[in-house]
Parts: sequence; C-alpha cells; structure tokens
Amino acid sequence: MPYELRDHTADVAVAATGATLGDVFAAVADGLAAAMCDEVPASGERFDVTVAAESREALLFDYLDDLIYQRDVRGVLPVDHEATVERADGAGGEAGETLNGDGENATEWTLSGSARGVPLSEIYAREIKAVTYSEMDLSRTDDGWRAYVVFDV
Amino acid sequence: MTTYDADGITLHKVRDYVWEIPQEGGMRAPARVLASEALLDEISDDDTLQQIKNTTHLPGITKYAICMPDGHQGYGFPVGGVGALDAENGCISPGAVGYDINCGVRMMTTNLTYDDVKGKEEELVDSLFANVPSGLGGGGIVQGDAETVEQILARGVEWAVEEGYGVEDDLRACEDEGRRPDADPSAVSQKAKDRGRNQIGSLGSGNHFLEVQRVTDVFREDVGAAYGLEADQIVVLIHCGSRGLGHQVCNDYLRKIEKEHGDLLAQLPDKELAAAPAGSDLAEEYYGAMCAAINFAWVNRQLIMHRTRRVFERVFDRTWEQMEMELLYDVAHNIAKKETHSVDGEDRELYVHRKGATRAFPAGRPEVPAAYRDVGQPIIIPGSMGAGSYVLRGGEESMDLTFGSTAHGAGRLMSRTQAKQDYWGGDVQDDLEQQGVYVKAQSGATVAEEAPGVYKDVDEVVRVSDALGIGDKVARTFPVCNIKG
Repeated sequence: MPYELRDHTADVAVAATGATLGDVFAAVADGLAAAMCDEVPASGERFDVTVAAESREALLFDYLDDLIYQRDVRGVLPVDHEATVERADGAGGEAGETLNGDGENATEWTLSGSARGVPLSEIYAREIKAVTYSEMDLSRTDDGWRAYVVFDV
Repeated sequence: MTTYDADGITLHKVRDYVWEIPQEGGMRAPARVLASEALLDEISDDDTLQQIKNTTHLPGITKYAICMPDGHQGYGFPVGGVGALDAENGCISPGAVGYDINCGVRMMTTNLTYDDVKGKEEELVDSLFANVPSGLGGGGIVQGDAETVEQILARGVEWAVEEGYGVEDDLRACEDEGRRPDADPSAVSQKAKDRGRNQIGSLGSGNHFLEVQRVTDVFREDVGAAYGLEADQIVVLIHCGSRGLGHQVCNDYLRKIEKEHGDLLAQLPDKELAAAPAGSDLAEEYYGAMCAAINFAWVNRQLIMHRTRRVFERVFDRTWEQMEMELLYDVAHNIAKKETHSVDGEDRELYVHRKGATRAFPAGRPEVPAAYRDVGQPIIIPGSMGAGSYVLRGGEESMDLTFGSTAHGAGRLMSRTQAKQDYWGGDVQDDLEQQGVYVKAQSGATVAEEAPGVYKDVDEVVRVSDALGIGDKVARTFPVCNIKG
C-alpha cells in the first residue's frame, strides 16, 4: 500500500509514496479516505478534480482541501484517487527542483484527476476537518516522491 | 531553582505549577507551561513544548506564550495554547485559532433529578441520536438557503431566536449575547458558505458529543446557586463547533496569508503559524470572517440545544419550560478575540488567541453576563465519557497569569490509531453501560477513539486550574447518556 496512517496525539497523519508527483498526491488522498472510513463499498460515480497553485506543497494542500470541500457539498466520500501533476509551463511534474515563482499571482502547478464519490448515506464515515501545513513534507526519493501530511480531526 | 529537562528543552520552575522556557534564539518572549509534574510528564511526551516555543516567534507576542494543564500536540500552535498578540503592532494567526472556529461547549440545566431519568436512559439516548444530526453527511436541523447562511453569519443566535429556535433568555446566558458584532459575512468565501448550508445544527464527529449528565458534587455552594446547580440534578452538555464552514474559513485565510505575507511566514518555524500583520487588510478580513464563523457555531449549538428540549418533552411528557431547561452558559475554546488587558500597568489591545483554552474572566469584569458578574464567568470543562466533566468559575488570578484563560478539557493522551488498536468500541460501550453510562455513536471506531483511557486525568487538570486560581472548581458532573458522530 503506498500510504500509511501514522500516530499523532490528537489528529491523523498520512505518510505516502509514489513514483510520480501525481501518484504520491493520489496516495495521500487515498490515506485521507482510509482515515475517514474503514470499509468502502464499490458504489458511486467518478467525478473530476482540477486544482492549480503556486508551488508543489501548495498544490498538495489545495488538492486535499478541495477533496474535503467536495465531500461536504456533494455528500460523498472521495476514494480511488487518480491524479496527474504538471507545471503549467508544460515542463512536467518531474522537472525542476524547487520553484521560485515569477510573480506572486503566477499559477505554476496544476493537478487534473478524478475520484469515485461513495454516497455518505451508504457508509459510516468519521469526519476529518481539514488538511494542515503542520510538519508537511513533500520530497524526492530514489524511487520517486514521498509525502507526509497531518490532518485535523 | 528547580528545573525540568524534557528532551533538550529545559523548563525552570517559577512557582508551584508554573514552569518557564526562557527566551532564546528567535523567540520573542518566554513560554510558560502551567502544570503539575505529573501533567508535565505527559505534556513533554509529544511535540507540545516545541510547539509552544514556536508560537513565541509570532510578532507582538505579549508577556509569554502559555500552555494550559491539558495541553497537547496540535498543528502549528499546540492545543491548550494561549497567545496574546498585540493588535496594533503584532499579528493574527488563523492556525492559532484552529480549524474549528468557536468549537466550544454549552451547558443547559433542568429541574429533573437522576431518579427522573433512571429507567429511561435507553429511550432518551435513542431519541437524542435519532433527532440530533451527527456524523458525516447527516444533514442539519435546518436546511438553509444562501440567505439563511448570511443571516446566521451576521446575526448569530438572534437569528435563531427570531426563527423560533430559542427564547430571549438564551441570549443573556451566552458570551456576547450570542452575536459577535465584528462579524463580516462578506469575508466568508462562497466555498465556506456552501459547506455550511447543509450542516446547520449538527454535531459532526471526532470528539464532539451531546451528553445528558447528573451533577455529582457542588464544591462551592454560593457559586453553584448562582449558576442554578445542585447535586443530583440533570444537565445537558453540548460540544461542537462551526463545522465545515469554520474549517474552510481557516484554510482560505491560511492560504491567502501565505501568498500575501510570505516575508513574515519565512520568519516562523512552522508554516501552520502563518499570520497576518495587525492593521493589514487580511488581518481585518480574517477577523471579520472568524467572527462570522463564531456566530455560525453559536447558532449550531443553539439549534442542537433547542432540539434537545423537544426530545425531552417527548420522553418526559412535559413542556421544556416545565422542566426549566435553561442555558447556563456557552464557552468557546477555539477563538481569537480583541480584548483589552493590563500589561505592566498599561492598557493594551491584544488579539488573545485561545486554541483549546477557555476564557475565564473573574467576578466584576463587564464582559461577564449580569447574572454571573458577582461570582465570575462559568467555565465548562468536558471530560471523557468515563470521567465526567466540571463547571468552574473564572478565578481571581486569571487576568494576571493567563490573559483570563484556563484549560478546555481533559486533553488527549493517545493517538487515534493507537486507540483503535487498544480498544474495541463494543467493549468500551459495555463497560460504560456497567457504570450507568449509555452511549450511542455512528460507528464503533468513534467510541474506541474516544475511550476514557485515551484522555488525560481531568481531575488533575482541574485541580491545577483551581490551585493556580485561574479557574475555581464549582461542580462536577457524570455522564448518563452520550451521543456522538
């Protein structure tokens, strides 16, 4: 499994790995779903997710924030995540080390993906309130990427 | 001088229950921990001490950052943290308020006794569970349209009373009479409003709950009488916050501040501490949005309280007025408020951030409702399902020691993942029923995550608060029925 739920006194942390940025983002999102629900049925329709932000970390934050928002307004638990991350200039997600934005409003990174939305009425799910920046880590490994994200419960 | 060494951080004992981490490096003030040695052993077991040190890096931190006796590791700012930041030259930090803006607790008194409820616990817990929305996707008591959300954000409990979800007296027993005047609904994003619409009047999940309790002890008869509390009486305690609307407000502003005030952020040791400088547009906008979310949370607890009155009417076959179901008080424990405090003999306006901490103003303060002004502000400290809760009153020392604050609960000791390994929901539920506590939850996992053993000793937390004179023990309660999401 490319994600693990880690101990945190009050909240829940997800550690994840992936060969590409898109994979590791989707793996964190799968971890978020697992933190909310133990047994997920195969039901639900897929929906698209699109996010843009000024850095990779901000993109991860906004992506997870958007999934929590979609959960509340659609009334579904987003699961089975797929994501592709790219730099908006077309250089691709794997290019470049750290990004120094050209301008404060420049949007440099985009995510396009999808999730399956399991109706909340069909499951027992616990609420994760929000994604946090606390102790967030997104870094390269020999095999790709790893991420660590703390969620507020 | 006695010192306490905790994994590289040394605390110096100032006096009984007061420990100080001296200012060093980028710290702009010392940090203080208010705890007995037993509690300090628990507080130093995770990253709480490092987190309270980190908060002293915030510009405008006044006197010292404070960790309450129930403090534990949070995100950025620790839970159980108080930071008073100068409102002219300092800053305001959404992460130091927390995602669940105005998460808090209210207590409603009744004239029922434990004998009236005995034998009806199951009917009561089932009826409460069926009628008070909880968990994810459970909807709310009110399905609001866009205009409803605007009204709630702007007017708070006034709106609820006007719509028939309460009475005028409910306003008098609520902080700020249930309406934060600085609320600015236009500063709340459409996303936040969309999330709030179908959650108006809902508990949520996690550690939020509604509990029917019996008063087991009254420690201060005069204050107990002023609060309308006596032994064996039935009370209701409601713990929840501003739901998805508040969570979204926090994240929206965290991101806006990150983009706009990156220079300040670069000086802070944790990105989650992101702060808007006092006087900046974003500081004003966040304050207005946060105050609107405070109103939303008050309405949330008001609707749940009023629904509880209806449930009691059905179960006990009397009107709620006959059962004298009255709001005792409503406290917020995730909030930042502009308050005037005396610092070195000078009155200063401060953004007092209380994250997992409760305002605890003593007798005589004008902010305390008239009914309680002679005895001090009521403070409600929820404990775990197996340990009971406390009612305190604002202590004489609180203004000097803690900017008028005390603890907010027992404080977690064990992670949720560990709790699920150590406990099974069904067993916890059976054990509690043996003690006369009837629990009903959306899932067994929630019960396991909230098992009494995952919390610190609430008795010790309250003992330290009382000994310091920041929040004095008034009464203790023990659960009878508990519902959670």
